[in-house]
Amino acid sequence: MMNADRRMRLWRLVAEHAHGRQVAVEDVCAAVRSAVGVDRIAVAVQLAATPWETLYASDQIALELRELAMTVGEGPGLDPLANGPTLVADLTAAECLARWPMFAPAAVDAGVRAVFAFPLQVGAVRLGVMDLYHGTPGELQRRRLADALLLADTACALLLDAARPGGSEVAGRWPARAGTEHPEVHQATGMITVQLGVTAAVALIRLRAYAYAHDRRLHDVAGDVVARRLRFDPEPEGAADERGG
Amino acid sequence: MPGVNEMAEVQLADVFVEMADTLVDEFDVIDFLHVLTQRCVQLLGVSAAGLLLTDQQDTLQVVAASSERTRLLELFQLQTDQGPCVDCFRTGQPVSVADLTAAGRWPGFAVAAAEVGFASVHALPMRLRTEVIGALNFFDTSRGPLDGDKVRIGQALADVATIGLLQQRAIHRRDVLTEQLQTALNSRVLIEQAKGVLAERLQLDMDKAFMVLRSEARNRNRRLSELAKAIVDGSERISEASDADHSG
Repeated sequence: MMNADRRMRLWRLVAEHAHGRQVAVEDVCAAVRSAVGVDRIAVAVQLAATPWETLYASDQIALELRELAMTVGEGPGLDPLANGPTLVADLTAAECLARWPMFAPAAVDAGVRAVFAFPLQVGAVRLGVMDLYHGTPGELQRRRLADALLLADTACALLLDAARPGGSEVAGRWPARAGTEHPEVHQATGMITVQLGVTAAVALIRLRAYAYAHDRRLHDVAGDVVARRLRFDPEPEGAADERGG
Repeated sequence: MPGVNEMAEVQLADVFVEMADTLVDEFDVIDFLHVLTQRCVQLLGVSAAGLLLTDQQDTLQVVAASSERTRLLELFQLQTDQGPCVDCFRTGQPVSVADLTAAGRWPGFAVAAAEVGFASVHALPMRLRTEVIGALNFFDTSRGPLDGDKVRIGQALADVATIGLLQQRAIHRRDVLTEQLQTALNSRVLIEQAKGVLAERLQLDMDKAFMVLRSEARNRNRRLSELAKAIVDGSERISEASDADHSG
């Protein structure tokens, strides 16, 4: 599969940046800069009921632009209604000035001409946003776009897996894809929110943690949940309880 | 299968008018594509229709189907590895398999399709100028090709689906296409999550859960994906009473 080749190549790149450490979001960001070829990058997260927080910025300008967007409440990737990426090939375009009257001129003053904002999300689970800044205007080429989308998904997966209770990362482990094409993973997430009385983010974290702990594929575990062979019970340590099918 | 000549032309015209009307209003793209797949089934006399879009990372993802039966969705999705649909997507050309038992090219897919009772499969590309963005996929329980008129109607519906996906925005840049494709894919994930919430809360199967979600969205005059989001984050609920009212 082409997708597997791309994932393998990018994961290797991410792992190289980690230099043997446990892979973190900053390593994904470093991989984005080299694979996608952008000048700067920032990742901001918004966990439940907390304000936006910049988790990573490649440099001072990226940090300042990210903080500016949060302060003035406008900028690519901050539109609460946007359900997908916001790709801006040229911030000096009239429509950009109209849309972001404070952010766009400030970014241009700082030497940024293109911004590509990728939400870190899985359906209703919205963890944050990854902003790519570039000094020259222009769209992302198709392959670079594919790499950026895949790496944004990887960052999303890492954020979900880092949040799992008591889970220490297995070194070099390739996290299960967050925006998986298997619908049963998303259906199971919804079912677990009801079973445990938790948010969709927590439900997805728990589902993924269960799959890792039992060394099973995420969509196989999800298939068991959907078929009602496996239930997540709110009780002891939240351990899922396997029931005969 | 009835031929196109026997098919009421009025019906055909009605479908295109319905689709055009939908595009004028503020509409939900997933709901639009769901209705479109249902109309494919009616107009083309096939058993099931599904619509798959590229996630721009080399994988096709199911965004709408004429029926939300889990096994049917799985069968559509299975083709992202091998099958007529992925071949259609990669070549940008229609792929038609009149008899799956005689098609040795996709052994895994052919077996899975036979298990669900399908004998033939057809796939038509969704194109935007030079770019292929997905495919419209049909299954039928009887063998046989899709005749020329039906291929033309199916391709017209695939083109309407592409237009609907772009939602009246001028697609002169790939950026806009990407934004719309990724939004549609995330909306689909939202809907799957909401189906899960409803399936668990109301003890329904996934097919029923989708019907409840969809009829509630219509009753409340809400976009499907907005209501789905509200259900997943718990800000809105659908009671069992609504299930009894609309599950039919």
